[in-house]
Amino acid sequence: MSMTTIRDRVLLVLKLYDKIDVSKLTLESHFMNDLGLDSLDHVEVVMAMEDEFGFEIPDGDAEKLLRPADIVRYIADKEEVYE
Amino acid sequence: MAAKKMEILRLYKQLLRESTKFSSYNFREYALMRVKDAFRENKNLTDPAALDKQIKEGYKNLAIIKRQVVIGHMFEPQRLVIEKQLS
Repeated sequence: MSMTTIRDRVLLVLKLYDKIDVSKLTLESHFMNDLGLDSLDHVEVVMAMEDEFGFEIPDGDAEKLLRPADIVRYIADKEEVYE
Repeated sequence: MAAKKMEILRLYKQLLRESTKFSSYNFREYALMRVKDAFRENKNLTDPAALDKQIKEGYKNLAIIKRQVVIGHMFEPQRLVIEKQLS
C-alpha cells in the first residue's frame, strides 16, 4: 500500500457516502465545518473507514479525525506507510 | 456533557455494528434504518433526564439486537433471492 492508494481509497469511500457533497470534498475539507456533517455522520464515516481498511479505530482516535487528510495520515501510520 | 456525548456516539456505533450482524436482509436493513432514524429524531435533546431515558432505551435495544442476532443464526430461514445473489 502506498500513500497514493490510501488517499484514493479514503476519498472513494467519502464520495460513496451519500451525505457528502462531492464538489466540496478535498483532502483538507473539515467534515463538520465544510461538509456539514454532524457527529452521528462522523461515526458512520469512521465505520466506513474501518470496513474499508479492515481494522478498528478506537473512539479516542476517531474524534480527532476531522479531515480526510487526518484519516489518510492515521491509516498510513497504522499500516506503516511513509512518503 | 462531553462525556455523555462520547457515550451516545459509542452507543450509536455499537448499535450499528451489532445491527450489521443480522443474517436476514430484512432485519438487518430495518435495524440499521431504525437506529439511524431514532438517533436523528432525538439529536436536539438537551434535557439530562430525557437524555438518560433515551440512552437507557438504547442499551435495552442493543441487548435485544444482540439476542435476536444470535437467535437469527440459530433458526436460519430460507434465503431471499437478494441474499443468494450477494453470497
